[in-house]
Amino acid sequence: MIKINQLEKHFDSKQVLQGVDLEVPSGTVLGLLGQNGCGKTTLIKCLLGLLRPTGGTASILGDDAWNLSADTKSRLGYVPQEVVSYPWMRVRQVIAYTAAFYPSWNGPFVDELCRRWQLPLEDRVGPLSVGQLQTLGIVLAMGHEPDLLVLDEPVASLDPSARRQFLRTLLEIVDQPNRTVLFSTHITSDLERVANRVAIMREGKIAFHGELDSLKERVKRLHIASRQELPRSFAVLGALRCEVEGTAATVSVDDFDESLVDEMRTTWDAEVTVHDLNLEEIFVEMHNQ
Amino acid sequence: MSSKPIPFEIHPSSGVPIYRQLVDQVYALLAGGQLAEGELLPSVRRVAQAAAVNPMTVSKAYSLLESQGVVQRVRGQGMRVTKPQAAGNLEEREDQFRRFLEPAFHRAQQLGLDEAETRQVVESLLQELRKTQNP
Repeated sequence: MIKINQLEKHFDSKQVLQGVDLEVPSGTVLGLLGQNGCGKTTLIKCLLGLLRPTGGTASILGDDAWNLSADTKSRLGYVPQEVVSYPWMRVRQVIAYTAAFYPSWNGPFVDELCRRWQLPLEDRVGPLSVGQLQTLGIVLAMGHEPDLLVLDEPVASLDPSARRQFLRTLLEIVDQPNRTVLFSTHITSDLERVANRVAIMREGKIAFHGELDSLKERVKRLHIASRQELPRSFAVLGALRCEVEGTAATVSVDDFDESLVDEMRTTWDAEVTVHDLNLEEIFVEMHNQ
Repeated sequence: MSSKPIPFEIHPSSGVPIYRQLVDQVYALLAGGQLAEGELLPSVRRVAQAAAVNPMTVSKAYSLLESQGVVQRVRGQGMRVTKPQAAGNLEEREDQFRRFLEPAFHRAQQLGLDEAETRQVVESLLQELRKTQNP
Protein backbone atom coordinates (compact mmCIF):
# COMPACT_ATOMS: atom_id res chain seq x y z
CA MET A 1 0.00 0.00 0.00
CA ILE A 2 2.71 2.47 1.06
CA LYS A 3 6.38 2.37 0.08
CA ILE A 4 8.82 4.95 1.35
CA ASN A 5 12.46 4.73 0.39
CA GLN A 6 15.27 6.93 1.76
CA LEU A 7 12.89 9.88 1.92
CA GLU A 8 14.49 13.23 2.69
CA LYS A 9 13.02 16.63 3.22
CA HIS A 10 14.71 19.82 4.29
CA PHE A 11 13.37 23.29 4.77
CA ASP A 12 16.18 25.72 3.96
CA SER A 13 19.01 24.45 6.13
CA LYS A 14 16.78 22.42 8.44
CA GLN A 15 16.96 18.70 7.66
CA VAL A 16 13.64 17.27 8.87
CA LEU A 17 13.49 13.86 7.21
CA GLN A 18 16.86 12.16 7.01
CA GLY A 19 16.29 9.02 4.99
CA VAL A 20 13.00 7.46 6.04
CA ASP A 21 12.37 3.86 5.00
CA LEU A 22 8.92 2.45 5.60
CA GLU A 23 6.75 -0.14 3.95
CA VAL A 24 3.12 -0.61 4.93
CA PRO A 25 1.24 -3.59 3.53
CA SER A 26 -2.48 -3.25 2.96
CA GLY A 27 -4.68 -4.32 5.85
CA THR A 28 -2.31 -2.78 8.40
CA VAL A 29 -3.17 -0.35 11.15
CA LEU A 30 0.09 1.50 11.68
CA GLY A 31 0.62 3.86 14.59
CA LEU A 32 3.25 6.52 14.05
CA LEU A 33 4.92 7.72 17.23
CA GLY A 34 7.59 10.31 17.81
CA GLN A 35 8.51 13.35 19.85
CA ASN A 36 7.32 16.78 18.80
CA GLY A 37 9.29 18.05 15.85
CA CYS A 38 10.70 14.66 14.84
CA GLY A 39 9.08 14.85 11.41
CA LYS A 40 5.80 12.92 11.64
CA THR A 41 3.65 15.56 9.99
CA THR A 42 6.29 16.27 7.34
CA LEU A 43 6.45 12.56 6.54
CA ILE A 44 2.67 12.35 6.21
CA LYS A 45 2.57 15.44 3.99
CA CYS A 46 5.32 14.11 1.73
CA LEU A 47 3.52 10.80 1.50
CA LEU A 48 0.28 12.46 0.41
CA GLY A 49 1.92 14.76 -2.12
CA LEU A 50 1.28 17.89 -0.06
CA LEU A 51 5.01 18.57 0.27
CA ARG A 52 7.66 17.84 -2.29
CA PRO A 53 10.46 15.62 -0.94
CA THR A 54 14.04 16.77 -1.47
CA GLY A 55 15.31 13.23 -1.84
CA GLY A 56 14.21 9.61 -2.01
CA THR A 57 10.80 8.30 -3.04
CA ALA A 58 7.35 7.74 -1.57
CA SER A 59 4.50 5.94 -3.26
CA ILE A 60 0.92 4.93 -2.55
CA LEU A 61 -0.64 2.03 -4.45
CA GLY A 62 2.32 2.22 -6.83
CA ASP A 63 1.73 5.90 -7.62
CA ASP A 64 4.51 8.37 -6.91
CA ALA A 65 3.39 10.60 -4.04
CA TRP A 66 4.05 13.82 -5.94
CA ASN A 67 1.99 12.66 -8.94
CA LEU A 68 -0.94 10.80 -7.43
CA SER A 69 -3.56 9.84 -10.01
CA ALA A 70 -7.19 10.86 -9.54
CA ASP A 71 -8.05 7.21 -8.96
CA THR A 72 -5.52 6.85 -6.14
CA LYS A 73 -6.63 10.14 -4.61
CA SER A 74 -10.22 8.91 -4.57
CA ARG A 75 -9.07 5.95 -2.47
CA LEU A 76 -7.41 8.15 0.16
CA GLY A 77 -8.81 9.80 3.23
CA TYR A 78 -6.82 12.34 5.23
CA VAL A 79 -7.49 14.08 8.51
CA PRO A 80 -4.93 16.85 8.98
CA GLN A 81 -3.80 18.11 12.35
CA GLU A 82 -5.73 21.31 11.78
CA VAL A 83 -8.91 20.78 9.85
CA VAL A 84 -9.33 23.36 7.12
CA SER A 85 -12.91 24.28 6.59
CA TYR A 86 -15.42 26.76 5.31
CA PRO A 87 -16.56 28.84 8.29
CA TRP A 88 -19.54 30.38 6.48
CA MET A 89 -21.11 27.05 5.56
CA ARG A 90 -23.38 24.97 7.71
CA VAL A 91 -22.11 21.49 8.72
CA ARG A 92 -24.72 19.87 6.48
CA GLN A 93 -23.52 21.97 3.53
CA VAL A 94 -19.83 21.12 4.03
CA ILE A 95 -20.74 17.45 4.02
CA ALA A 96 -22.81 17.80 0.84
CA TYR A 97 -20.04 19.84 -0.78
CA THR A 98 -17.39 17.20 0.02
CA ALA A 99 -19.68 14.34 -1.01
CA ALA A 100 -20.00 15.83 -4.49
CA PHE A 101 -16.32 15.12 -5.15
CA TYR A 102 -16.65 11.39 -4.55
CA PRO A 103 -18.73 8.98 -6.65
CA SER A 104 -18.42 6.36 -3.89
CA TRP A 105 -19.75 8.60 -1.07
CA ASN A 106 -21.66 6.55 1.51
CA GLY A 107 -24.46 8.89 2.63
CA PRO A 108 -26.16 6.58 5.16
CA PHE A 109 -22.79 5.82 6.80
CA VAL A 110 -22.05 9.54 7.13
CA ASP A 111 -25.52 10.20 8.57
CA GLU A 112 -24.88 7.44 11.09
CA LEU A 113 -21.51 8.92 12.08
CA CYS A 114 -23.01 12.41 12.49
CA ARG A 115 -25.72 10.99 14.72
CA ARG A 116 -23.26 8.95 16.75
CA TRP A 117 -20.96 11.92 17.25
CA GLN A 118 -23.77 14.44 17.70
CA LEU A 119 -22.56 16.83 15.04
CA PRO A 120 -24.89 19.86 14.86
CA LEU A 121 -25.81 19.65 11.16
CA GLU A 122 -27.56 23.02 11.02
CA ASP A 123 -24.79 24.98 12.80
CA ARG A 124 -22.27 27.04 10.90
CA VAL A 125 -18.73 25.64 10.85
CA GLY A 126 -17.07 28.87 12.05
CA PRO A 127 -18.08 28.77 15.70
CA LEU A 128 -17.65 24.98 16.14
CA SER A 129 -15.36 23.88 18.97
CA VAL A 130 -11.94 22.42 18.13
CA GLY A 131 -13.22 18.96 19.05
CA GLN A 132 -16.32 19.29 16.86
CA LEU A 133 -14.19 20.54 13.98
CA GLN A 134 -11.90 17.55 14.35
CA THR A 135 -14.90 15.21 14.41
CA LEU A 136 -16.20 16.85 11.24
CA GLY A 137 -12.77 16.37 9.65
CA ILE A 138 -12.88 12.67 10.50
CA VAL A 139 -16.39 12.27 9.06
CA LEU A 140 -15.35 14.03 5.84
CA ALA A 141 -12.29 11.79 5.50
CA MET A 142 -14.25 8.58 6.09
CA GLY A 143 -17.34 9.35 3.99
CA HIS A 144 -16.06 7.79 0.79
CA GLU A 145 -14.82 4.69 2.63
CA PRO A 146 -11.18 5.10 1.61
CA ASP A 147 -8.81 2.14 1.29
CA LEU A 148 -6.11 4.19 2.99
CA LEU A 149 -6.99 6.48 5.86
CA VAL A 150 -4.25 8.81 7.09
CA LEU A 151 -4.83 10.63 10.36
CA ASP A 152 -2.44 13.17 11.82
CA GLU A 153 -3.14 13.35 15.54
CA PRO A 154 -6.84 12.93 14.95
CA VAL A 155 -7.99 12.74 18.55
CA ALA A 156 -5.87 15.35 20.30
CA SER A 157 -8.88 17.60 20.92
CA LEU A 158 -11.48 14.93 21.64
CA ASP A 159 -12.68 14.11 25.14
CA PRO A 160 -12.14 10.52 26.39
CA SER A 161 -15.62 9.26 25.51
CA ALA A 162 -15.54 10.84 22.04
CA ARG A 163 -12.10 9.30 21.54
CA ARG A 164 -13.40 5.89 22.50
CA GLN A 165 -16.26 6.27 20.04
CA PHE A 166 -13.86 7.31 17.34
CA LEU A 167 -11.67 4.25 18.05
CA ARG A 168 -14.69 1.94 17.85
CA THR A 169 -15.62 3.40 14.48
CA LEU A 170 -12.05 3.05 13.29
CA LEU A 171 -12.14 -0.61 14.34
CA GLU A 172 -15.37 -1.19 12.41
CA ILE A 173 -13.64 0.20 9.37
CA VAL A 174 -10.51 -1.91 9.70
CA ASP A 175 -12.63 -4.99 10.27
CA GLN A 176 -13.32 -4.92 6.53
CA PRO A 177 -10.63 -6.57 4.44
CA ASN A 178 -7.69 -4.59 3.09
CA ARG A 179 -8.40 -1.30 4.80
CA THR A 180 -5.18 0.40 5.77
CA VAL A 181 -4.85 3.07 8.42
CA LEU A 182 -1.85 5.21 9.26
CA PHE A 183 -2.20 7.44 12.24
CA SER A 184 0.12 9.57 14.27
CA THR A 185 -0.62 10.27 17.89
CA HIS A 186 0.88 11.03 21.27
CA ILE A 187 -1.77 9.00 23.04
CA THR A 188 -0.05 5.65 23.27
CA SER A 189 -3.02 3.93 24.93
CA ASP A 190 -5.17 4.57 21.83
CA LEU A 191 -2.47 3.16 19.66
CA GLU A 192 -2.21 0.06 21.85
CA ARG A 193 -5.89 -0.63 21.23
CA VAL A 194 -6.09 -0.29 17.49
CA ALA A 195 -2.63 -0.56 15.95
CA ASN A 196 -1.11 -3.87 15.01
CA ARG A 197 2.12 -2.25 13.88
CA VAL A 198 4.11 0.67 15.24
CA ALA A 199 6.70 2.93 13.70
CA ILE A 200 8.73 5.08 16.05
CA MET A 201 10.35 8.15 14.51
CA ARG A 202 13.42 9.75 15.91
CA GLU A 203 15.44 12.62 14.49
CA GLY A 204 13.99 12.30 11.03
CA LYS A 205 14.38 8.55 10.76
CA ILE A 206 12.42 5.43 11.63
CA ALA A 207 14.00 4.11 14.84
CA PHE A 208 11.71 1.07 15.06
CA HIS A 209 9.12 -0.46 12.81
CA GLY A 210 7.38 -3.72 13.54
CA GLU A 211 4.54 -5.47 15.29
CA LEU A 212 3.32 -3.88 18.49
CA ASP A 213 3.15 -7.31 20.16
CA SER A 214 6.71 -8.20 19.32
CA LEU A 215 7.89 -4.77 20.51
CA LYS A 216 6.30 -5.47 23.89
CA GLU A 217 7.77 -8.96 23.98
CA ARG A 218 11.27 -7.77 23.12
CA VAL A 219 11.69 -4.60 25.17
CA LYS A 220 11.95 -5.41 28.89
CA ARG A 221 13.38 -3.83 31.99
CA LEU A 222 15.47 -6.09 34.18
CA HIS A 223 16.18 -5.48 37.83
CA ILE A 224 19.35 -7.17 38.95
CA ALA A 225 20.10 -7.72 42.62
CA SER A 226 23.49 -9.28 43.08
CA ARG A 227 24.87 -10.85 46.24
CA GLN A 228 28.11 -8.99 45.52
CA GLU A 229 29.13 -5.48 44.60
CA LEU A 230 28.69 -5.08 40.85
CA PRO A 231 31.80 -3.86 39.05
CA ARG A 232 31.91 -0.44 37.40
CA SER A 233 32.46 -2.24 34.15
CA PHE A 234 29.02 -3.86 34.45
CA ALA A 235 27.43 -3.74 31.05
CA VAL A 236 24.91 -5.62 28.97
CA LEU A 237 25.49 -5.91 25.28
CA GLY A 238 22.94 -3.97 23.23
CA ALA A 239 21.20 -2.47 26.28
CA LEU A 240 19.00 0.58 25.74
CA ARG A 241 19.83 1.86 29.17
CA CYS A 242 21.95 0.61 32.05
CA GLU A 243 22.23 1.94 35.59
CA VAL A 244 24.45 0.45 38.30
CA GLU A 245 24.44 1.31 41.98
CA GLY A 246 26.29 -0.93 44.42
CA THR A 247 24.83 -4.43 44.25
CA ALA A 248 21.84 -3.42 42.12
CA ALA A 249 21.42 -2.64 38.46
CA THR A 250 18.57 -1.72 36.15
CA VAL A 251 18.92 -2.60 32.52
CA SER A 252 16.53 -2.09 29.62
CA VAL A 253 17.01 -4.32 26.63
CA ASP A 254 15.32 -4.43 23.24
CA ASP A 255 16.03 -8.05 22.36
CA PHE A 256 14.86 -9.92 25.43
CA ASP A 257 14.81 -13.68 25.68
CA GLU A 258 14.78 -16.06 28.63
CA SER A 259 18.37 -17.18 28.14
CA LEU A 260 19.53 -13.64 28.93
CA VAL A 261 18.07 -13.99 32.43
CA ASP A 262 19.82 -17.32 33.06
CA GLU A 263 23.07 -15.89 31.80
CA MET A 264 22.80 -12.89 34.11
CA ARG A 265 21.91 -15.02 37.12
CA THR A 266 25.07 -17.04 36.77
CA THR A 267 27.42 -14.30 35.54
CA TRP A 268 26.56 -11.80 38.27
CA ASP A 269 25.42 -14.18 41.02
CA ALA A 270 22.17 -12.27 41.09
CA GLU A 271 18.40 -12.39 41.33
CA VAL A 272 16.90 -11.07 38.14
CA THR A 273 13.32 -9.84 37.86
CA VAL A 274 11.80 -9.04 34.50
CA HIS A 275 9.33 -6.21 34.02
CA ASP A 276 6.98 -5.83 31.10
CA LEU A 277 6.83 -2.34 29.65
CA ASN A 278 3.87 -0.69 28.00
CA LEU A 279 4.20 1.40 24.89
CA GLU A 280 4.60 4.67 26.74
CA GLU A 281 7.40 3.24 28.88
CA ILE A 282 9.07 1.72 25.83
CA PHE A 283 8.88 5.07 24.07
CA VAL A 284 10.51 6.82 27.01
CA GLU A 285 13.23 4.15 27.30
CA MET A 286 14.05 4.57 23.63
CA HIS A 287 14.41 8.32 24.03
CA ASN A 288 16.50 8.28 27.19
CA GLN A 289 19.53 6.53 25.87
CA MET B 1 -24.66 -17.39 24.21
CA SER B 2 -24.31 -14.25 22.12
CA SER B 3 -25.99 -12.13 24.79
CA LYS B 4 -23.59 -13.30 27.48
CA PRO B 5 -21.19 -10.56 28.55
CA ILE B 6 -17.60 -10.81 27.38
CA PRO B 7 -15.68 -12.68 30.07
CA PHE B 8 -12.38 -10.93 29.33
CA GLU B 9 -10.83 -7.96 31.09
CA ILE B 10 -8.36 -6.35 28.72
CA HIS B 11 -5.80 -3.73 29.63
CA PRO B 12 -4.37 -2.30 26.42
CA SER B 13 -1.78 -0.22 28.28
CA SER B 14 -0.25 -3.17 30.02
CA GLY B 15 3.23 -4.38 29.11
CA VAL B 16 1.65 -7.74 28.31
CA PRO B 17 0.46 -7.82 24.68
CA ILE B 18 -3.32 -7.95 24.33
CA TYR B 19 -3.30 -11.33 22.58
CA ARG B 20 -1.32 -12.79 25.50
CA GLN B 21 -3.79 -11.35 28.00
CA LEU B 22 -6.62 -13.06 26.12
CA VAL B 23 -4.81 -16.40 25.95
CA ASP B 24 -3.93 -16.26 29.66
CA GLN B 25 -7.50 -15.36 30.57
CA VAL B 26 -8.95 -18.25 28.59
CA TYR B 27 -6.63 -20.59 30.51
CA ALA B 28 -7.71 -18.98 33.78
CA LEU B 29 -11.40 -19.33 32.90
CA LEU B 30 -10.85 -22.99 32.05
CA ALA B 31 -9.01 -23.58 35.31
CA GLY B 32 -11.76 -21.83 37.26
CA GLY B 33 -14.51 -23.77 35.54
CA GLN B 34 -16.20 -20.66 34.09
CA LEU B 35 -15.47 -22.04 30.66
CA ALA B 36 -16.12 -25.71 30.00
CA GLU B 37 -15.64 -28.25 27.26
CA GLY B 38 -18.02 -27.73 24.37
CA GLU B 39 -18.66 -24.06 25.08
CA LEU B 40 -18.06 -21.41 22.44
CA LEU B 41 -15.75 -18.46 22.91
CA PRO B 42 -17.42 -15.11 22.12
CA SER B 43 -16.86 -14.14 18.50
CA VAL B 44 -13.81 -12.15 17.46
CA ARG B 45 -15.98 -9.24 16.40
CA ARG B 46 -17.86 -9.11 19.69
CA VAL B 47 -14.70 -9.16 21.77
CA ALA B 48 -13.07 -6.51 19.56
CA GLN B 49 -16.08 -4.21 19.73
CA ALA B 50 -16.74 -4.67 23.43
CA ALA B 51 -13.14 -4.10 24.45
CA ALA B 52 -12.40 -1.56 21.67
CA VAL B 53 -9.37 -3.45 20.43
CA ASN B 54 -8.23 -4.49 16.98
CA PRO B 55 -10.06 -7.63 15.75
CA MET B 56 -6.79 -8.93 14.29
CA THR B 57 -5.39 -9.09 17.82
CA VAL B 58 -8.35 -11.15 19.03
CA SER B 59 -7.98 -13.47 16.02
CA LYS B 60 -4.32 -13.90 16.83
CA ALA B 61 -5.16 -15.01 20.38
CA TYR B 62 -7.81 -17.44 19.14
CA SER B 63 -5.47 -18.92 16.55
CA LEU B 64 -2.81 -19.44 19.19
CA LEU B 65 -5.33 -21.20 21.43
CA GLU B 66 -6.33 -23.32 18.47
CA SER B 67 -2.72 -24.29 17.78
CA GLN B 68 -2.33 -25.21 21.46
CA GLY B 69 -5.34 -27.49 21.12
CA VAL B 70 -7.47 -25.62 23.64
CA VAL B 71 -10.20 -24.70 21.17
CA GLN B 72 -11.30 -25.95 17.82
CA ARG B 73 -12.61 -23.87 14.94
CA VAL B 74 -16.13 -25.06 14.12
CA ARG B 75 -17.36 -23.81 10.79
CA GLY B 76 -20.23 -21.38 11.07
CA GLN B 77 -20.15 -21.43 14.86
CA GLY B 78 -16.81 -20.16 16.10
CA MET B 79 -14.24 -21.44 18.53
CA ARG B 80 -15.32 -24.37 20.66
CA VAL B 81 -13.48 -25.45 23.80
CA THR B 82 -12.03 -28.93 23.30
CA LYS B 83 -11.59 -31.74 25.74
CA PRO B 84 -8.83 -30.90 28.23
CA GLN B 85 -5.39 -32.54 28.10
CA ALA B 86 -5.65 -33.18 24.42
CA ALA B 87 -2.87 -30.85 23.36
CA GLY B 88 0.78 -31.58 22.64
CA ASN B 89 2.97 -34.38 23.95
CA LEU B 90 3.72 -34.79 27.63
CA GLU B 91 7.22 -33.35 27.40
CA GLU B 92 5.98 -30.13 25.80
CA ARG B 93 3.25 -29.72 28.39
CA GLU B 94 5.66 -30.34 31.24
CA ASP B 95 8.01 -27.78 29.75
CA GLN B 96 5.23 -25.23 29.52
CA PHE B 97 4.32 -25.86 33.15
CA ARG B 98 7.95 -25.61 34.25
CA ARG B 99 8.32 -22.16 32.67
CA PHE B 100 5.13 -21.11 34.43
CA LEU B 101 6.38 -22.32 37.82
CA GLU B 102 9.94 -21.04 37.67
CA PRO B 103 9.19 -17.44 38.69
CA ALA B 104 7.05 -18.72 41.55
CA PHE B 105 10.00 -20.66 42.96
CA HIS B 106 12.24 -17.62 42.69
CA ARG B 107 9.64 -15.71 44.62
CA ALA B 108 9.67 -18.37 47.33
CA GLN B 109 13.43 -17.98 47.59
CA GLN B 110 13.12 -14.21 47.89
CA LEU B 111 10.54 -14.67 50.65
CA GLY B 112 13.11 -16.73 52.51
CA LEU B 113 11.28 -20.08 52.27
CA ASP B 114 13.63 -23.05 52.35
CA GLU B 115 13.21 -26.19 50.26
CA ALA B 116 11.07 -28.06 52.78
CA GLU B 117 8.80 -25.07 53.32
CA THR B 118 8.39 -24.55 49.59
CA ARG B 119 7.58 -28.22 49.13
CA GLN B 120 4.95 -27.96 51.84
CA VAL B 121 3.14 -25.19 49.96
CA VAL B 122 3.20 -27.19 46.74
CA GLU B 123 1.93 -30.30 48.53
CA SER B 124 -0.94 -28.43 50.11
CA LEU B 125 -1.91 -26.97 46.73
CA LEU B 126 -1.96 -30.43 45.20
CA GLN B 127 -4.07 -31.67 48.09
CA GLU B 128 -6.62 -28.91 47.57
CA LEU B 129 -6.79 -29.77 43.87
CA ARG B 130 -7.43 -33.43 44.72
CA LYS B 131 -10.28 -32.42 47.01
CA THR B 132 -12.03 -30.27 44.40
CA GLN B 133 -11.70 -32.97 41.77
CA ASN B 134 -12.88 -35.89 43.94
CA PRO B 135 -15.17 -34.33 46.49
